[in-house]
Amino acid sequence: MSGGGLFLRAAATTATATARACRALAAFTASRRSLRTSPPSQGFAKELFLGTIEKKEVFPFPEVDQEELNEINQFLGPVEKFFTEEVDSQKIDREGKIPEETLEKLKSLGLFGMQVPEEYGGLGLSSTMYARLGEIIALDASITVTLAAHQSIGLKGIIITGNEEQKRKYLPKLASGEHIAAFCLTEPTSGSDAASIQTRATLSEDKKHYILTGSKMWITNGGLADIFTVFAKTQIVDSNNLVKDKITAFIVERNFGGVTNGKPEDKLGIRGSNTCEVHFENTKVPVENVLGEVGGGFKVAMNILNSGRFSMGSTVAGMLKKLIEMTAEYACTRKQFNKKLSEFGLIQEKFALMAQKAYVMESMAYLTAGLLDRPGVPDCSVEAAIVKVFSSEAAWQCVSEALQVLGGLGYMRDYPYERLLRDSRILLIFEGTNEILRMYIALTGLQHAGRILTARIKEIKRGNVNMIVETIGRRLRDSLSRTVDLGLTGKDGVVHPSLEDSANKLEENVYYFGRIVETLLLRFGKTIVEEQMVLKRVANILINLYSMTAVLSRASRSVRIGLRNHDHEVLLANIFCVEAYHQNVFALAQLDKYSPENLDEKIKKVAQQVLEKRTYICAHPLDKTS
Amino acid sequence: QVAPKVPRGLHCSAATHSSDSDSSVVPRPPEPSRWPMKGLAPHQELFGQAPSGERDKASFVQAVQNFKQHSVRRRGHVDFIYLALRQMRQYGVERDLAVYNLLLDIFPKEVFRPRSIIQYIFVHYPRQQECGLAILEQMENHGVMPNKETEFLLIQIFGHKSYPMLKFLRMKLWFSRFKNINPFPVPQDLPQDPVDLAKLGLRHMEPDLSARVTIYQMPLSKDSTGAADPTQPHIVGIQSPDQQAALARHNPARPIFVEGPFSLWLRDKCVYYHILRADLLAPEEREVEEILEEWNLYYPMQLDLDYGRSGWDDYEFDIQEVEEGPVFAMCMAGAHDQATLAKWIQGLQETNPALARIPVVFRLARSTGELLAASPGLEDLPPQPPVQGQEEEEDNLQRQQQQSQS
Repeated sequence: MSGGGLFLRAAATTATATARACRALAAFTASRRSLRTSPPSQGFAKELFLGTIEKKEVFPFPEVDQEELNEINQFLGPVEKFFTEEVDSQKIDREGKIPEETLEKLKSLGLFGMQVPEEYGGLGLSSTMYARLGEIIALDASITVTLAAHQSIGLKGIIITGNEEQKRKYLPKLASGEHIAAFCLTEPTSGSDAASIQTRATLSEDKKHYILTGSKMWITNGGLADIFTVFAKTQIVDSNNLVKDKITAFIVERNFGGVTNGKPEDKLGIRGSNTCEVHFENTKVPVENVLGEVGGGFKVAMNILNSGRFSMGSTVAGMLKKLIEMTAEYACTRKQFNKKLSEFGLIQEKFALMAQKAYVMESMAYLTAGLLDRPGVPDCSVEAAIVKVFSSEAAWQCVSEALQVLGGLGYMRDYPYERLLRDSRILLIFEGTNEILRMYIALTGLQHAGRILTARIKEIKRGNVNMIVETIGRRLRDSLSRTVDLGLTGKDGVVHPSLEDSANKLEENVYYFGRIVETLLLRFGKTIVEEQMVLKRVANILINLYSMTAVLSRASRSVRIGLRNHDHEVLLANIFCVEAYHQNVFALAQLDKYSPENLDEKIKKVAQQVLEKRTYICAHPLDKTS
Repeated sequence: QVAPKVPRGLHCSAATHSSDSDSSVVPRPPEPSRWPMKGLAPHQELFGQAPSGERDKASFVQAVQNFKQHSVRRRGHVDFIYLALRQMRQYGVERDLAVYNLLLDIFPKEVFRPRSIIQYIFVHYPRQQECGLAILEQMENHGVMPNKETEFLLIQIFGHKSYPMLKFLRMKLWFSRFKNINPFPVPQDLPQDPVDLAKLGLRHMEPDLSARVTIYQMPLSKDSTGAADPTQPHIVGIQSPDQQAALARHNPARPIFVEGPFSLWLRDKCVYYHILRADLLAPEEREVEEILEEWNLYYPMQLDLDYGRSGWDDYEFDIQEVEEGPVFAMCMAGAHDQATLAKWIQGLQETNPALARIPVVFRLARSTGELLAASPGLEDLPPQPPVQGQEEEEDNLQRQQQQSQS
C-alpha cells in the first residue's frame, strides 16, 4: 500500500516543485515590496499585536494543487476503510492496548512515516496533507496519540536537527514503523521547567560515549519504543570558560543497554496508548548520537514542541465531524412528546455550536498548515499554539454538549460517547497545557510588539519629526473617527461582501487590540510577564482574532469559487465572528481597566485566602454564632 | 555587638505580663467584689451540700435549686447570685449558658419592670439591675453568647427598657462581630500533655502548612526505670520545606543562632520556644534571583523590552518594612538549657545535613523564673541548671563542633 502511495507521490513531485517555485517567487516579490513601507512580516499573528492585518499572508485561503489533492484522496480511501471497518476502538479502550495486527496494518499503510521525507522512506507529506490524514486517524484517539508521539515529537527531532548520517541511520526504520520513537522530556521534577531536569549525561573517559542516567515519566510509547529522543543535562564549558549545566538532546536506542520501562500507566482516556516511565541507567550513548549541538537541547526541545501542535486542529475536527454525524442520527430519530429531538431549540443550538466549532477549527488548522507549507522556514509557532488551544477547548465543549443531547445514553459505557469525552480531556493538557500556551501566545506577541513600539518611542525621543507627526496624526484620527478600515473590504477588499459586516468587526477588533497592546506595554512594561490574568485575556483576544481571520478567509474563498453549501459556511462564519467580536469587546474593555475594576484584584485575593488555608474557608451555611 | 536584650526584642512582648500566681491571661472576670464579704457570705452553706462533695454542674444546679426552694420569696437573691457567680469557676460551669439562664431565673419576674416613664428615667431597682448586669458581664468575659431564653428572661425580669436589656442587645451585636475576629483561633480546651501542647503551639506560630513537626525527644517521667538519668525533657521542633531549603543554601561561614526562650500565650497557658535563625544578609551580599536563560520550555520568562515601570507607576502605599533575618526552625523543649537545645540541633542535622558545617551559637537569655511559675505544664520540671551568663559576654561565641556529634 505504501509503495503505491509513494509511486503516485513521485509522479506528482515535479509538478509540485514547479508550483512551489512559483509560490516562492510570489512570496519573494511580495516581501520585497513590503520592505519599503514597513518592516518585513514576522508571522501573521504577531503582526496583529501591532493592530495591523497582514492580509497578503492569509488571503486568499491557501490551496493545494489538484494533483496533490488527487493523490491524497486516493490514499485516504484505504485508510478510512481500515479505520471504520477494522479498528475496534472500544476493544482498544477496554484492553488498554492496540492489538499487534492493527499496528502492523498501520505500518503497512505507511502511517508511521507521514512527515518523514521520501528519500528516507517516508511519505513526505506536506503539513496540509498531514493534517488531512490526521482527520481520518482521529477516529481512534489511542492510535492518534501513539502516532503523534511517534512522529510529531518522537522522531521530529531527527528530521529538524538531525545530521545527514543520523537521518540515514534512523529515519528509514522509523518511517516504516519497524522502530517506534518516543520523546523523553518530562521528569518527576520537571514539567515545563527545563532547569530542574535531573537526568544526566556525562562524557566517558575516552570521549566516545555519554553515560546517561535518570528517569523520565509519562512517556507515550515508552514501552513500545526502540528509539528515544532523550533530554539530559550535560556539563559544558561556555565562552567565558565557566562550567555550566546545559541540556543536550540524544538519540538513544533501546539496545544501548540500561533502558528499562515501568508498567503502563492506567489513564482516564486514550487508554490504548502506551504511557509509562522510562529509566536510563548508565546507558552508553555514542557521541554521534547527540542531536543538534551539545548544550543545544533546549532549542531542540522547543522547536520540536512548537512544530507538533498545529495538527491537533484537523484531528479534532475529524473527530467532531464524526461525532456530529452520530449525534444527529440520534437526535433525528428519538421522539419525545411526539416531536423529534431535533425540533427542540435547545438541541438545535447544540448542533449549531458543534458545526461552528468544527468549521472554525478546520479553517484555522488548514490555514496554519498552508502557512507552514510556504517555502523557507516560516515561524508559525504562535498560530500553531492558537490552533491547539482553540481546538482542544472546543473538543471538550462539543463532546460535552453532544453527551447532553444524548442524555443518559451518552453516559453508558456500551456507547462510544463517554470514551470520546474521556479521550478528549487530555487534549487540554498535553503538548503544553492550554494555560502555558496562552502565556506563550501572549508573551511572544507582546515581545514582538514591544520591540517595534520601543523603537518608535526612541525615534520620537530623538526628535524624528515624521514619527511625531504620524503619532499625533494617528491619535487625532482615533479621537475623530470611529470607523476602522484596514482594507479587508471595499474596492480592493479580499473578503466577500456577504461577510462584510464580520470583516469590519474583525478590523475594529484588530485595531483596538493594537491600541490596547500599546497601553498595556506602557502600563506594565517588562513586568507584564507577571500579569497572567492580563496575558490570558490578551491571548484569548488573539485566538479569536486569528480564528475570525481564518474563517473569513475560508468562507470568502468558498463563496468565490462556488463550493457546495457555501451559504452555510457564510452563516457559520458570520455567527462565529459576531460572537467572537462581542467576546473581544468585553475583553478589551476589561484590559482597559485597572485591576481593582476588572475584578482581577478580588479574584486574586480570594485565591490567596483559600490557598493560605489550603481549604474552603467559608463557614457552613448552617453554622450559628451562639 | 549585640545587646543582651536585642534578640528578645520582638518576641517577648508577653514577658512583661503579670507574674501572678493566678494563671489567667485572658481578662479575668472581675471579681464581683462590690460587696466585700467578711467571713462567710450569706448562703455559702448552700454550696458544698452535695453528698459526694464533687463540684460539677449537677451540684451547682442543685445548689441553685436548693436556694429556690429554701427561700420561696427569693429573699437575698442578689447576694446569692453574686455568690453563685463567684463559685462558677470552681464548679467549671463558667462557660455554660444554661447555668447563666438558671441564675437569671432566680430573679422574681415582673417585679422590677418599670411601669412608667418616671421609673424608667430614674433607674428602677438599681441593685437588681446591677446584679443582672453582673451576670451578663461574666457571660461576656467568658465569651458566652446569650440566646433567646436569656432575652425572654431579661424582658420578664427587667422589661424592655432596662440596662440589662441594653447590655444584652450590645452583646448580641458585638459578639457576632468579634467572635471570629481572631484569624488564628486557639482551641477552647488546650491539651494537657506538654508534647501535644508544644505541637499545637508550634503549628500555631508556623504559617506554612507543609511544615513538619518532629518530636526529637519524648519526655521520660521521673519515676521511670532510668531513674539514674536526669529527667529527659521533651523536645518538639517544626520546620517547613522552605526553611530546610534556606538552611541548605546558608553560607557555612556565617554562624546561626539558637535564641530564646520566647514566650507564647495559648489562652491561659504560657509556653516557651526557641528559634534557629541567622542574621540578615547585607543587601550587597544577597544572591539576586536571576531568571535563567533556558528555563521555561514553553514561554519566555522575561521580555526583552526597554519599557520598565518608573517611580510614577508605583501605586502602592509607602510602607516602611523592616526585614528580619531568616528563621530556619523553631522548637519547644521541656528545658531551656544548652544541653537540651544541642540535642535539638543534633536532631535537626538528620534532615539538614548542611547544618553540620555551620557553626551554631547559643544565645540563651537567663531562664526567667518568674514566668515559669505561670505555666503549669512546666512547673514540675526539676530546677533548671543555671545557664551560664551568655548575656554578660555575648562575644563569647560558643562554636558547637557539631561534626563530632553526628
